[in-house]
Amino acid sequence: MTHTHTLPPRAANAAGIRIEGLSKTFGEVQALNDVSLDLAPDRIYGLVGPNGAGKTTLMACLCNHIFKTAGVIAIDGANPAENAAVLGRTIFIHEDQAYNDAYTIDRILAAMPSFYPTWDAETAQRLIERFQLPIKRRARKLSRGQKSAFAAVLSLAARAPYTLLDEPYLGLDPTARVVLYEEVLRAYSEVPRMILMSTHLIDEAADLMEEVIVLHAGRVVMKADVDEARSSAFVARGLGEDVRRLAGSREIIAEHALGRIISATIRGRATPEDERLAAETRVSLEPASLQDLVAALGIHDLTEALKNGSQS
Amino acid sequence: MDVIGAERPIFVELADRIADDILGGLLEEDTQVPSTNELAAFYRINPATAGKALNRLVDSGVLIKRRGLGMFVAPGAQQSLRQARHAAFADEYVRPLLEEARRLGLTADQVTDLIHHYPQEQK
Repeated sequence: MTHTHTLPPRAANAAGIRIEGLSKTFGEVQALNDVSLDLAPDRIYGLVGPNGAGKTTLMACLCNHIFKTAGVIAIDGANPAENAAVLGRTIFIHEDQAYNDAYTIDRILAAMPSFYPTWDAETAQRLIERFQLPIKRRARKLSRGQKSAFAAVLSLAARAPYTLLDEPYLGLDPTARVVLYEEVLRAYSEVPRMILMSTHLIDEAADLMEEVIVLHAGRVVMKADVDEARSSAFVARGLGEDVRRLAGSREIIAEHALGRIISATIRGRATPEDERLAAETRVSLEPASLQDLVAALGIHDLTEALKNGSQS
Repeated sequence: MDVIGAERPIFVELADRIADDILGGLLEEDTQVPSTNELAAFYRINPATAGKALNRLVDSGVLIKRRGLGMFVAPGAQQSLRQARHAAFADEYVRPLLEEARRLGLTADQVTDLIHHYPQEQK
């Protein structure tokens, strides 16, 4: 066995994805609003935010499943629209992918190498077994969990340099979710690729991500290294006046009350002075979890979040 | 009461866990440590995070890189880890112990008594 300790090598010819001023409207609804992002190849990104934030729309625009209203998308420097060579380097299985009525799992698997020259049948076989998928069943007839599992098989075995996973855990039981996360990491380790994974199970998936992107109402409100994001706020809990004194002029991005006790998510890092003051006033300090932070950004006044949190 | 830093970055946690294994003798000096990919798969974490943990241990001299072979436990790593942990013992263990004792109204003498009389088999 070989042991490498450096990060996996960059995939050949992968330059990443550049998104500039991307907007998408559905009638009156602005699903994406001036989104700009630079996504490096060979990195695992988490895409989080409340329902309706634009996560799926962003992925669908990247893969040209739907057409953008405005802006620029460049995958490896090229426009993906009507560009089969570029689109062949991406994979995005939609949550309610419309499979042909007659197609069974094994028939779809057999067709995959013609779409993806990088297709790895061994990976597909292993995942089919681990998820215990019935290969003679028609894809349309699969349960919610089986559909997710099958989407994971297709997405990971394709070995596409740009792999988009849209809430890949839907309907999976906890055991199958562990299999999913293990296989995402295994696939990534074997053949490094960019993985953009949307999720609501933030704390469960946080350890997989290198960077997290938070979408809210069609805008990017944060893009940061996961560790940096975690340390960008902390939670203070105690009597209201004590907590407010401790927060001082710093911004409280979320607050919950339990009688006279409040729990406040404060932007910034806790300092030794905070710890001293907290000990004196019976205030407890805890790091914000990524889930706390995203929830706080979500209910926070959007313009404030844009002003303070946007790093992209 | 939780102190800040009770939940530290994953790579710091992982580096400490590897250090624990070296201190405990599970990873002996001059033996190879698991690769980033092996650590990532085992702990189900991003390989870049695992890499940061290993680099942290290289920076502190606990691990050494051998070109083309991988990372190994440095000679003397166990001893130097033990010294570092000795130095941190007062801050990391004694301070929170005394803080909790103060909240409960226990004197330093009472705490010392508790330590002396704490059942031997549980020490």
